[in-house]
Amino acid sequence: MIEIVRPAMYTIVVDQGRYGQCAIGVPPSAALDRFASAASNWLTGNDASSPALEVIGSGLVLRFNVDTACAITGAKVKAFLDDREVEPWTTFRVSKGGTLKVVEVLEGFRYYVSFSGIMVVDEVMGSCATNLECGFGGYRGRALAAGDRIELTEIGLADIRIVPQKYIPGMHPPHTLRVVEGPEAHYFSEDSLKAMFQKHFQKSYTVSNMSNRAGIRLVGEPLIFRKGMEKSIISEGVMPGTIQIPGDGQPIIILYERTVGGYTRVAIVIRADQDLLAHLKPSDSVIFEMVSMDEAERLWLEQTKKLSHVNAL
Amino acid sequence: MNLTRYGENGVRIKFGDAINLEIHEEVRRCYFFLKALHLPDIIDITPAFTACLIHFDTRKTSFTKLAEMLSERELDMASAAVAEPAVHEISVRYGGVHGLDMSFVSAHCGLTEDEVVTIHAAELYTVFTVGFIPGFPYLGVLDRRLNTPRLETPRVRVPKGSVGIAQRQTGIYPFQSPGGWRIIGQTETSLFDAKKEPYSLMQIGDKVRFIKE
Repeated sequence: MIEIVRPAMYTIVVDQGRYGQCAIGVPPSAALDRFASAASNWLTGNDASSPALEVIGSGLVLRFNVDTACAITGAKVKAFLDDREVEPWTTFRVSKGGTLKVVEVLEGFRYYVSFSGIMVVDEVMGSCATNLECGFGGYRGRALAAGDRIELTEIGLADIRIVPQKYIPGMHPPHTLRVVEGPEAHYFSEDSLKAMFQKHFQKSYTVSNMSNRAGIRLVGEPLIFRKGMEKSIISEGVMPGTIQIPGDGQPIIILYERTVGGYTRVAIVIRADQDLLAHLKPSDSVIFEMVSMDEAERLWLEQTKKLSHVNAL
Repeated sequence: MNLTRYGENGVRIKFGDAINLEIHEEVRRCYFFLKALHLPDIIDITPAFTACLIHFDTRKTSFTKLAEMLSERELDMASAAVAEPAVHEISVRYGGVHGLDMSFVSAHCGLTEDEVVTIHAAELYTVFTVGFIPGFPYLGVLDRRLNTPRLETPRVRVPKGSVGIAQRQTGIYPFQSPGGWRIIGQTETSLFDAKKEPYSLMQIGDKVRFIKE
């Protein structure tokens, strides 16, 4: 059993996502950094799709009353197991009675913690991911609070593994997000598209503190609708990474909590850059860069190498 | 049927550009046809007013292959036998503490509150899509006399069971959630249960009638 002594700013149970129910409005609620979440499970000897904790902020304190193994991935953190500093992206053994403390987040925004063994949490529609808005999945459908306890079953003492340095992404702002064209790109003036997406011309945007798990709001040069173009669409399905433009021209990047939307969709963040969305924190700078579909596919293929290294494919 | 690519792993199947029952019936047939095929290449399908969005597995198929298959089967899709839609009767307590925006709607439309209720409860609505949150039915088409704009600033919390209207649509909030629709009533009917199938009371194409309590 693991006790949450302090939950940091926010700690929830996530996995690779809940799929197959978009037709009734159920979103994936997946880990925002899917590579990091899969990697923490690989490090602790679990399947990539097993649940992990997704945490924002320093101050996480966990107490173990079992012997197990643990790993921290995602945002770069300074963490201690009792008095000993532990390496991120590396398996470490934990003895019964041990306390894990994350004292500082150095780079990035969300980090992931896994344990060797299966967390006993609510599985709903084939996934343990927490749908916070509707209160189901994960730990009783809510964020973890001080005093909560998570049981572990099938505890194994995982081998010590290390994720190779070359697979660990940088998360330092300014962030560059590469995109492909979205269905309503033609709703916008050419000049404003150039100012948002064209290399060497693009203006930077700032992540708003109004961002949350459903969407990242950006503030910057507004996109200008062409004369006579509607500012909304008949609501339609959206995919994660879609950049929506509401009437005020300020972009919103859709994450894993929405299935349909009525705002125009100017672009879609390419899959190879979607994990980076987990690490956009309020006041970070972001620039966009339009790439071709061929380039997006090539970059994804590259990405699959690191995903298969941690058995996430 | 118009097929376009949506990002790296999406196919958008569009059937038209307007909110009406003919276009919507094509969307509904497409959805149930594809769902019944249980293709391992398809991860998820989101049917809405005018289009179906397919999320596909790039390890198993490609946009080109999927688009080819869909074009080949267009006729099968149009003639496929799909289930008859279910009809739901939803009891509603209109106005007062149950309908925060009833007085606004009544003033905006130039109707008495009783007239608003009578018009709202007269129609047999169609579920055009289910979403933004689990189980939320987008119902149409609302009588033009009740056409009311959304709130300019959405509410942070709309109570569970709220019945709202927005432009030519009406809908029901299955959970307490943020929302910008004008609330005219409240129902006690549960629309979503994450623990048991069918999770959502309503699915695309179902019919809904509101009954004044």
